[in-house]
Amino acid sequence: MSVVRLSLGAAILAILAIQLPCTETFAQNPEPQYEVLSPWAEVDPVPVRGISSRIQSLAGRKIGLFVNYKRAATPIAAALEKKLKSMYPDAEISSFYSLEWNVTEVETSDRDRFTAWAKGVDAVIMSVGD
Amino acid sequence: MYNAISIEDFGTPVVLLANPGFVKDAHSAASSKGMPGIRVLPLNVACESTVAAEIEAGTTAAMPGIVEALTKPLTEEEKNPKPAAAEPRRIAFKGDYEDVNRFFYRNGWTDGLPIFPPTEEAVKEMMTGTDLPPDHVVAKVIPRLGKATVEKIAINAVMAGALPTHMPVLIAAVQALMDQRSRFDTFEVSTGSWAPFFAINGPIRNDIRVNYSSGALSPGDIANAAIGRAVGLIVKNIGGARKGIEDMGVIGNPSKYSLVIGESEEESPWEPLHVERGFAKEENTVTLFFPNSFVQSVPRETSAEGIAKSLAAMGPWNMSCLIVIPSHAKVLSDAGWTKKKLRDFVLQNAPNPFPSNQDTSQILSQPPAADSDGLMILVAGGPGAWMAMLRSVGGIENGFITKKIELPRNWDKLVAKYRNVVPVYRGY
Repeated sequence: MSVVRLSLGAAILAILAIQLPCTETFAQNPEPQYEVLSPWAEVDPVPVRGISSRIQSLAGRKIGLFVNYKRAATPIAAALEKKLKSMYPDAEISSFYSLEWNVTEVETSDRDRFTAWAKGVDAVIMSVGD
Repeated sequence: MYNAISIEDFGTPVVLLANPGFVKDAHSAASSKGMPGIRVLPLNVACESTVAAEIEAGTTAAMPGIVEALTKPLTEEEKNPKPAAAEPRRIAFKGDYEDVNRFFYRNGWTDGLPIFPPTEEAVKEMMTGTDLPPDHVVAKVIPRLGKATVEKIAINAVMAGALPTHMPVLIAAVQALMDQRSRFDTFEVSTGSWAPFFAINGPIRNDIRVNYSSGALSPGDIANAAIGRAVGLIVKNIGGARKGIEDMGVIGNPSKYSLVIGESEEESPWEPLHVERGFAKEENTVTLFFPNSFVQSVPRETSAEGIAKSLAAMGPWNMSCLIVIPSHAKVLSDAGWTKKKLRDFVLQNAPNPFPSNQDTSQILSQPPAADSDGLMILVAGGPGAWMAMLRSVGGIENGFITKKIELPRNWDKLVAKYRNVVPVYRGY
C-alpha cells in the first residue's frame, strides 16, 4: 500500500512539474479583455400611452381616409371608399390628402386643417401606399 | 405612422394599412413615439402598386380586418402598454475581441464588418478631436431622436476605425444630416436606399489625408473609409435606422458603407465647391446630399464640348453631382468653360430620364435638373479619362447642405500625432 501511495505521489508530482510551466505561459498570454461602451444613444423619455377606444360599428359613422403621397395610396383609398359605401351606405367618407413627402401634419402649416379633420371623424383608415 | 399617432392622440381610433414588409417598420415607429398599440393591418397590395385589379382585390380581402381593427374593444395591453425595454448600460460588455464583436453584431450595432472595441481609453482619445465636452448634444438624430452626444459620436467613430482627427468632420457631418433642408428624414429611411455623400473641402483634406485623387471613392484611405463608416454607425446606433426595420431601402446601397471624397482644389482651375457655396477658401467644410446611383462614363471626344456632352449624357437630374477629373476640368477651363457655363450646358442637354408617354405628375418623375442649385460640380479623381455622376432627387424642399468644420485648439498637435498613419505599399 505504501508503495502504491509513493508511486501515486510521484506521478502527481511529475504531472505538476509538467503543467506548471505551461500554466505560467498561458497566464502570460491570455486573450485581452475589453470593457466597451454602448454605441446606442439615449433618448428623452417618451410618455407611453394607450390607443383610443374603438367605435361599435362603422354604420352611420363618419369615416376618415388619410391618404399619403405614395403612388398606391390614392387608388387604395378610392377602393376603400367604394367598399365602405357598399358595406355601409349610411356612412360618410371624408378624405385627407397628405401629399408632401414624409411630413407630420401637426408640424406643418396645415396643422389646424388636419386637426379639425381628425377630430371631426369617428375613425380613420390610413392608406400609405407601402 | 406619426400622423396615425397624432390622430389617436386626438381621441380618434385609427387602423393603418401597410404592406406586410412594412408592418415591423410601422410598429417600430409607433413604439418609438410611445404608442406601441397602434393597430396595423397588413395589406396584400404590392408597394406602390399601380395595378387596379390588385389594389381592388387586396382592399376587398382586408375589409374584415379593417372593420375589426376599428371596432374590436381594446385589450388591457392596448389600453395600458408597458414601457419600452430599458436602454443598454453605459458599459455594454466585457470580453475578448471576438466576443465583443459577436456581442455588438448580435445587438445590431455593427455594419457587418468587425469593429474596434470602444473602450473608455479609446473613446477618450477619440474625443481629443474636439473641444466640445463629452455630454454636449450635437443633434438629436431621427427617427428615434437619439442624442448624438460627443461621446456617442466618439464611440461609433472608434468602432469604425476613425482617428481623433476625424472627429471635427463627424461632428459637422451630424450637423449636416440634421439640417432640415437635407431632408434626411426622407432619405434616411426611404425605399430608395439613398446614401449620405460627403464632399470635404479646405486644408483639412490634406491634414487628415482625405483622398481626392486616384481612386478617391475606392477603399484604402482611412479618412474616406472611416468617416463614412462612422456616419453609417451613427445613423444606426444613434438615429436608430436599422435596415428592414426603419431603413426600408429595397435593394440597399454599398455606398452606405462610405461615400466620402475630397475636392482636388489644388488641381482644379475653378473655385472650389465650398467657395461657390459662400465659404472662404481657407475654411474647412463638409457638403452633404443623398444619391442612390453612381454612374461612370468616358467621353467619346476629349475636346471641351465632347467632355461637356458626355457629362450631360450621364443624365443628371435635380440633385446630382458630376465628378470631373482635373485633366477634363483643365481642358474645359482652357476653352473658356466656367463651372456656370458647364452647369448651364448640362442642364440644357441632359436627357429626360422618363419617356414622354409616362405620367410626369408624380414627384419621382422630375424633369432634368431645371435648377442649377441642384447640380454640384466637383473636381476630383486621378489620371485617366473617366467621369462620374451621383444622382439623388430634388423637388422636396431639399438642397446640398454645407457645414463648417470646427477644429479643436490642439489641432496642429493632433494632426502631427496621426500624420504618419498612412499605408506604405510594398513594391513587387
